[in-house]
Amino acid sequence: MNELLERLQRHFDVNNINVLKPGMTTLKIGKDSAEILIRELRDREGYTHLNFITCIDYIEDGIFTLVYMLHNYDSKHTLGVHVDIDREGEEMTSIHTLWAQAWTYQRELREMYGINFPGSPRLDEDFCLEGWDQIPPMRREFDTRAFSEERFGHREGRHSEVPRVHMKMELYPKRGGDEE
Amino acid sequence: MNLRDLLSPFFVWQRAFEKPYTSIRPTIDRPGAPAYRGFHINVSEECVGCGSCHSICQNHAIDMVPVAEFEGRTGDSGLRPRFDYGRCCWCGLCVDICTAASLRMSNEYAWISEDPDEFHFTAGIDDKPWQNNEHGYRRAEGYHLYPPKRIEMEMLSPDVSVQSFEEVARGYSEAQAKLEADRCVECGICVATCPAHMDVPDYIHSIRDGDYEKGLQLMYRTNPFPATCGRICTRRCESVCPVGILGEPVAIRWLKRFIVDQVDAQDYQRILNDQIIESGHRVAIIGAGPGGLSAAYYLRKKGHAVTVFEAGETAGGMLRYGVPSYRLPDADLDKDIAYIVSLGVDIRYNTRIGKDIEFEQLLQDYDAVFLSTGLSVPSNMRIQGEDHARVLSGLQVLADVASGRDPGIGRQVAVIGGGNVAMDAARVSRRLGADVTILYRRRIADMPADAEEIHESQEEGCNIVPQAIPVEITTADNPQQVSIKWGEAEMVQDPKGGRPRPVLQEDRMHTDTYDCIISAIGQGSDLDFLSKENQQQLAIEWGKFTPGEYQQSALQKVFVGGDVANRTADAISAIEDGHHAARGIERLLNPDEFTTTQTDNTGELT
Amino acid sequence: MTLSTGHSAALDFAQPEPPDLSSGKYVKLWQGPQHPGITGNMSLELVLDGDTIVSCKTHVGYLHRGFEKLMERRTFIQNFTVVCRIAVPEPTFNEYLYSHAVEEISGIEVPERAIWLRTMNLEMMRLASFLMWIGGQSGAFGQYTVPNWTLAYRDYVLDLFEEMTGARIYHMYIVPGGVRAGLPDGFEERARKIMKGAEKLLDQIERVMFNNVVFKARSKGLGIITPDMVDPYGIVGPNARACGLARDIRKDEPYLAYDRLDFETISGNEPDAYGRAYLRLQETRQSINLIRQCLDHAPTDGPFQADMPNVLHWKVPAGETYVKAECTRGEYGYYMVTDGSEFVRRVHVRGPSYTHAIAVMERLAVGTNIADIAGLMVSLHTYPPEIER
Ligand SMILES: Cc1cc2nc3c(=O)[nH]c(=O)nc-3n(C[C@H](O)[C@H](O)[C@H](O)COP(=O)(O)OP(=O)(O)OC[C@H]3O[C@@H](n4cnc5c(N)ncnc54)[C@H](O)[C@@H]3O)c2cc1C
Ligand code: SF4
Ligand code: SF4
Repeated sequence: MNELLERLQRHFDVNNINVLKPGMTTLKIGKDSAEILIRELRDREGYTHLNFITCIDYIEDGIFTLVYMLHNYDSKHTLGVHVDIDREGEEMTSIHTLWAQAWTYQRELREMYGINFPGSPRLDEDFCLEGWDQIPPMRREFDTRAFSEERFGHREGRHSEVPRVHMKMELYPKRGGDEE
Repeated sequence: MNLRDLLSPFFVWQRAFEKPYTSIRPTIDRPGAPAYRGFHINVSEECVGCGSCHSICQNHAIDMVPVAEFEGRTGDSGLRPRFDYGRCCWCGLCVDICTAASLRMSNEYAWISEDPDEFHFTAGIDDKPWQNNEHGYRRAEGYHLYPPKRIEMEMLSPDVSVQSFEEVARGYSEAQAKLEADRCVECGICVATCPAHMDVPDYIHSIRDGDYEKGLQLMYRTNPFPATCGRICTRRCESVCPVGILGEPVAIRWLKRFIVDQVDAQDYQRILNDQIIESGHRVAIIGAGPGGLSAAYYLRKKGHAVTVFEAGETAGGMLRYGVPSYRLPDADLDKDIAYIVSLGVDIRYNTRIGKDIEFEQLLQDYDAVFLSTGLSVPSNMRIQGEDHARVLSGLQVLADVASGRDPGIGRQVAVIGGGNVAMDAARVSRRLGADVTILYRRRIADMPADAEEIHESQEEGCNIVPQAIPVEITTADNPQQVSIKWGEAEMVQDPKGGRPRPVLQEDRMHTDTYDCIISAIGQGSDLDFLSKENQQQLAIEWGKFTPGEYQQSALQKVFVGGDVANRTADAISAIEDGHHAARGIERLLNPDEFTTTQTDNTGELT
Repeated sequence: MTLSTGHSAALDFAQPEPPDLSSGKYVKLWQGPQHPGITGNMSLELVLDGDTIVSCKTHVGYLHRGFEKLMERRTFIQNFTVVCRIAVPEPTFNEYLYSHAVEEISGIEVPERAIWLRTMNLEMMRLASFLMWIGGQSGAFGQYTVPNWTLAYRDYVLDLFEEMTGARIYHMYIVPGGVRAGLPDGFEERARKIMKGAEKLLDQIERVMFNNVVFKARSKGLGIITPDMVDPYGIVGPNARACGLARDIRKDEPYLAYDRLDFETISGNEPDAYGRAYLRLQETRQSINLIRQCLDHAPTDGPFQADMPNVLHWKVPAGETYVKAECTRGEYGYYMVTDGSEFVRRVHVRGPSYTHAIAVMERLAVGTNIADIAGLMVSLHTYPPEIER
């Protein structure tokens, strides 16, 4: 394991190596060398299995972290490759030539986060959403509650009271902490 | 093609002779499994309306609604959960979290109605056929969504604690406090029961957030004695904490203490940031106990010039002279008092109203008076010989010790009584090196003292003799000693259903001799400083006031509070009386500000 | 068979040229989303030349409820009631993996009893799911006797779930910290009886469905997955094992009590619909065996839940993990990122159908004929909700 990491560090600009547990490590690499690293891992290091591709929205930092989870069946080791891209409009190299299912993930990320993977097949075909006219819904700023409040009605006759407030009104309206 | 593969499928016919899986029967009559998560049951008499079910439900399927059958009262908000089955997913999280285990599920799962509004119902209130189903999902024994046990407070071991007056309870570490604060379900039911209505869930929340300055600010909204109350409060709040129904209540008192302990006295000014704009009004306060000083704090915040007249030489009242320092170290009491004083409260020590200044004078010189003079006269045992020189009062012994005087109790001591003063006197005596016997009329379970106090006094080696009625005090052979004759008592059931009464057994009498007997069976007020006329005007009965709204006495200008005016006689009640009187005085002094809000039932006064 | 699973340049993932529909040569046919041969609400956009498929596109979205997004907005305890819905026929894998991910990040040790109860629960799930699948596979080739048997028998297994968990489908039994209850009285006896019946049923099914000239004729040679497709397509579970790869997470990277159970990874050598079906039949039997072992070993007393914080304001420390389990269809996984708050930062649910129903299906469909599409699809054993989450 350590040898592999050393090798990777020698040839690639990887950082933030994080051993999450025995059998699982994550590392970070710059966007431009990510595809080469992943190809290298697949072809020379035995990480032949792509578990999934996903994205984490760090809206507070203005970045999307793409996660490529790779697995080596022989060493039973899983390697998570993290790639940060700018949240606003930065593209990512497509890896649809590396795994047959990769384009599906990229199409999903396009739909759910708005990330562009130039050259990835059927990228702009609807995946889960048909006729979606809002911002990509997995972005943190998409407010599911506001969306559903706007779309769906409320049942009539619903009303809830807060025990503490109710008790104050009923039992000691003139006492307790004064509101400033 | 293989012949076997052609014939083998015909095996299917064999099934024609087997018992079929399906059978014809009405679909409705198959009961759900015994633990099936079906329609909700609420045993509404057991439910305390805490709303935890509402809080946990991710589908917003539960509303807390008032119901005709229950009113808000101590330990019960009076609200009950109402379910919207248009949203429920029958996860049963509400059942799992239910603090009272009143909420359950039946194994009923079929309910047909053409009216969708029927599926919006208050379990346990609206009549439903499954309400009494024996079967259905219940939270399993041993399954908890919040820790049922409280974090133990570290205590000095009894053999160490009796050696000195060092504080017994050591306080929570930050990690412990956070764990304990985590147990709060934030229902706020305790807030109604706390006499001062402190914002308990909020300051506990501030512990979870690690924001102790915020916690301190929250506490001062309703209580300027948090360091004190964090140690010795009677903590009625804990007795109604719903977490205590199935487990142990949240240690509200220790958490309060923890917050204060985290904040340096020097930082109070900055954190509390009480801005005072002088109002030009002058208010006199009689007594620098918690009642008087609480009023002083809230009046001062309103800008009134406050003068406190105190007969003794220090402030704190019974907290100083009664409560022993192993429970409430002077430094902590001083921390509270110092902040109040720092706002510009003028305390005139060694000034007894009625002696050094007349009460009438105050009425003339001040715009309003708040009186909180406490209970300082020990009650008599009403038995022969109790004026013996070796019969001491608990209050006297405690006051001596608090002032650094030797109460001269000797080595063999009997304490008479079962309240907190008796426990304090007993434990103080142990610390002075005496062997202590506590004689109490009823059973240990009947003792009015805090159960923790009873337990700790026993641990420290006090010998409690329950069902022991003092009959007579007699002179002992040794003039430095005293004898007590007492008889065993049988508890007799009250035919009217009241609490059982101890009845003296004349044939089982004992006489024991001690170096002293400490009588601690209660105390009364000393209101002789008021003229007969004043006493009449103030409508004093049995040495006590019966204040009206806002603690106002029969005299418009005079407000009363604390032990002389309430039935609970504890620090927190005195504190609330002082706060409430301050509200009343504010109304008296600035009536214009309240004319509009007179009918406002939110009652925010200040 | 030599097993070269490595990636080779020979495999071409390029999308086929879309057929020229205006040529008048082709027919476009939508199979689904409501179609008895579809394994849930999903549709295939097929282009036919005669009755031969020249192109297939999978469409999903009919079951998209935004679970991953919902989870970011609900507390850690609330999520456990949500996740079971991500794979309707196999809710418990979601319950287990969600719980396990949370436990791993927060360092919660689950008590022994809960470990065994979880293992048993997951194997019962496998049994129930395979029973339904067997019926589906038989039905997809027009044979409706077996589905009647297996679906009815699955209900007996659901009876067990109902007793054990309080619900038939959305069990909500495996919860962060452990499980929600121990076993009810008499459960073991009833479970053993149902296992015995299931074994007998499987024997009958073998005779009626597998030793069946029609089934063989229709399933053999259909949807061949060659070993060299496995990794490039991300194929897992029975779909991979049927072509000879002995890969099973239960054995290779044991979790729960699997390292203490006596079983071997089953692999086959017929990488077509028939071979996969037969492999699943054997795995169903294996599952019965594992359930029995769990009944033998599961402690009957002791705690079944770890000491938990108050879930009403539970904050899970910042962390990241990927946990996986072998579901009926292979690697099921939960990737979780937490940021120290009361809400999860990100959950990604990885279901095997994501590739099996799209990349793999779209490729295997080409060249088959319309009548075989349903059978092919079932033979890949896909559940659309786990694609869409
Ligand atoms: C031994 C003991 C233990 C206790 N333990 C607890 C406990 O653990 N928890 C709890 O909550 N409560 C406890 N209490 C009760 C608590 O101390 C009182 O309820 C509280 O102090 C009452 O406050 P107060 O302001 O009404 O009166 P006090 O505290 O009694 O203060 C009255 C003040 O008025 C002064 N004063 C009286 N007459 C005059 C006058 N004419 N002129 C000027 N000044 C005057 C007195 O000197 C005194 O300082 C205990 C009491 C005792 C005696
Ligand atoms: S069962 Fe679940 S969804 Fe229904 S009311 Fe209770 S917590 Fe809400
Ligand atoms: S959690 Fe239980 S006690 Fe609290 S309101 Fe709901 S049903 Fe009543």
